[in-house]
Amino acid sequence: MFRGLSNVIIKEVKELIRDPKILLGIILVPALMFPIMGLAVQTAMQTAEESMRSISIAVMNLDNGPVAENLTNFLTTLNVKIVEVNNLNFSEAVSYVQQSNLTGLVVIPFGFSYNITEGLKTELNVYTVFRGGGIAESTSSSTISVLLKTFEEGLVFQKVHEKFPEEDPETILNPIGMVERTIIKGNSVNIHPSALFGAMISQSLGMPIGIMMLLIFAMQLAATSVASEKEEKTLETLLTLPISRFTILAGKMTGSIIVAVVGAVAYILGAIYYMSSFMGMMPAEIGVDLAAIGLAPTPISLLLLGASLFMSLISALALAISLSVFAEDVRGAQSLVGPLTMLFVFPMLFTMLTDIHALPFPLMIVLLAIPFTHPMLASNVAFTGDYLTAVIGIVYMAVFTIIVLYIAARIFGTEKILTAKLKFGKLRLRKRQKDQT
Amino acid sequence: MSYLIQVYGETEGNKEAEERFEHVGNGDYSLSFLSLNSAQRHANKHVRSVLFANRGLSMEFAVEAKNVVKDFGEIRALDGPSFNVRQGEIYGLIGPNGAGKTTALRVTSTLLLPTSGTVKVFGRDVVDEALEVRRLISYLPEEAGAYKNLSGHEYLEFMTKFTTRNKENLKETVAIAAKISGLEERLRDKVKTYSKGMKRRLLVARALMTKPKLAVLDEPTSGLDVLHSVHVRRIIKQYVEKQGVTVFLSSHNMLEVEHLCDRVALINKGKIVAEDSPAALKKKANVSNLEEVFAKVVGLV
Ligand SMILES: Nc1ncnc2c1ncn2[C@@H]1O[C@H](COP(=O)(O)OP(=O)(O)OP(=O)(O)O)[C@@H](O)[C@H]1O
Ligand SMILES: [Mg+2]
Repeated sequence: MFRGLSNVIIKEVKELIRDPKILLGIILVPALMFPIMGLAVQTAMQTAEESMRSISIAVMNLDNGPVAENLTNFLTTLNVKIVEVNNLNFSEAVSYVQQSNLTGLVVIPFGFSYNITEGLKTELNVYTVFRGGGIAESTSSSTISVLLKTFEEGLVFQKVHEKFPEEDPETILNPIGMVERTIIKGNSVNIHPSALFGAMISQSLGMPIGIMMLLIFAMQLAATSVASEKEEKTLETLLTLPISRFTILAGKMTGSIIVAVVGAVAYILGAIYYMSSFMGMMPAEIGVDLAAIGLAPTPISLLLLGASLFMSLISALALAISLSVFAEDVRGAQSLVGPLTMLFVFPMLFTMLTDIHALPFPLMIVLLAIPFTHPMLASNVAFTGDYLTAVIGIVYMAVFTIIVLYIAARIFGTEKILTAKLKFGKLRLRKRQKDQT
Repeated sequence: MSYLIQVYGETEGNKEAEERFEHVGNGDYSLSFLSLNSAQRHANKHVRSVLFANRGLSMEFAVEAKNVVKDFGEIRALDGPSFNVRQGEIYGLIGPNGAGKTTALRVTSTLLLPTSGTVKVFGRDVVDEALEVRRLISYLPEEAGAYKNLSGHEYLEFMTKFTTRNKENLKETVAIAAKISGLEERLRDKVKTYSKGMKRRLLVARALMTKPKLAVLDEPTSGLDVLHSVHVRRIIKQYVEKQGVTVFLSSHNMLEVEHLCDRVALINKGKIVAEDSPAALKKKANVSNLEEVFAKVVGLV
């Protein structure tokens, strides 16, 4: 039945991979997009770090008391460059800060020291210059407030110590020590939940996005490979070759999968590179050993994911091919297949952001009815341990796959592949003719 | 002129053709150098019947069409014609635009399903035994392309691999196609760099290279210049004479049909209005060429 299949596959892969548009759009751009993004973010981060190290602010000291002096000294010891603007009025100071590229202006009001020593509440006015809102800017402005808060904490400690010389100020201020752990699959594990979520982010975000990209690539390729046969007028010859029509269909699907996998791998490698460029900046506790706490994928969960993924690929391709048969050329096919990407984007967003089973019932049903939700759910099996859902999803996918594959085979097996056309225009014309008579 | 000799240099001892070739001027469609003398024809017919006996195909007709109807919605493209293509002959369909020539060839090639009636290729039904039929035929569409990102050579290899797995055969077949197409060095270039005529030559070559039992050729010389048309016609003739190929073709070019075909069918509005050898048709209508026969039969004059 499959005589000549490898020949067809080789041809499909050659045709697709040598197409400059496909090479660029599906392999090169995704592979380069992330590293370039990573580079941009890294550069921004570095600038932010540098600007943090060399913060310079203007200080308008209207108090001139001892606490105000302590404050400026504290900031200076922490490497903050301070420019005194006591000789300017407020509006002059503001325009000076703007012009001389300072991060902000701190105004210490009159009576600041007095109020603090007398135990009265006082105020400190901090003005940050808004220059465009990049990452570097927001970090340096938050740095100012962090430094001021640290100074405030010091004051509090000192006060507490004066009132209760016998006791540890730390115990008074933070009487409860919180120890946070996580329960995984019914066992308590000595890991902070946020650390765990950080570690899982690659799976709960990366997998659905990766699956979505793979499916979208494969569909576009399959649609292209059918439509270009029409556009380039090679279809008729292909259909009269001594091979079964199903072989042609299978060859097109396999060829598209191969090229899509290359594209998806390029995309994932790019994404990993991108992620790893952040890793250096994340706290070390994120290095959680997933295998040790039973969250690494088990062979069964991998098998389920693989099966689910395989079937969604096949059905997505059969769907794309069946649709693209109705198009006259590659452009037409791609715009016919384009709306189908909604079938991946919604499930991806919901699986990424929430637990689908916690959604309102109608929404949940709609999402579960979309076959492509299931591979994304299956990618969660590794940490939910909910094999049943995955298996039900796979059965559902299998039924859907068989149906669309049957439809695609029917279209390929008959003359429909040659004669099928979307006849919107024609129908309208006929109606008009009928109306006239 | 050296190019010419290279392409047409192989007249394989056919002195008559060689001599007449010299007299074919630019734009001269007479092609009379192709007509062999009757003794030669007779000998070739004998060779053909031996070839067929060896292939174990003793069905009487290469194509046997009975009351074929093909509707496209409200349009009736074929209105019940019946015709037979004999083994080892060149059978031509001629008719005006939209007469149903392409439709008839597509039905024969298993691309379209007849609305009613039957078509058999060497006794095999084009609907029920489509795959078997595809093993016997090779189809050259009226308007066709080749995979633009493959080289001409890769394209021919791809096409050959469906009929042979033997490396030697593969090489040989591709070499034959290279000769038929006359593309030579250009076969190494991607198809997207070819001109229309070069593409057509590649496709004609691929249709004939595997020596199919039945070659279905829809306007084989469309888009070719005079010299390449002459070359392609010569090759077609040669394949029928020497390789036992049967040819079922369509054409707009009456002179081409007149000199190439053993028998022709005149088709108009989906119906066959006359069928015979070109000579007999002319004689019956008492005119000097097929064009006039056609005009008479269709009622244009
Ligand atoms: N896919 C199709 N859908 C609808 N109508 C079609 C289709 N293919 C052919 N027809 C119609 O069938 C009729 C016969 O067309 P066909 O292509 O067989 O003509 P032809 O003899 O090959 O003409 P030409 O000399 O122009 O190639 C025409 O009226 C044409 O409009
Ligand atoms: Mg035609």
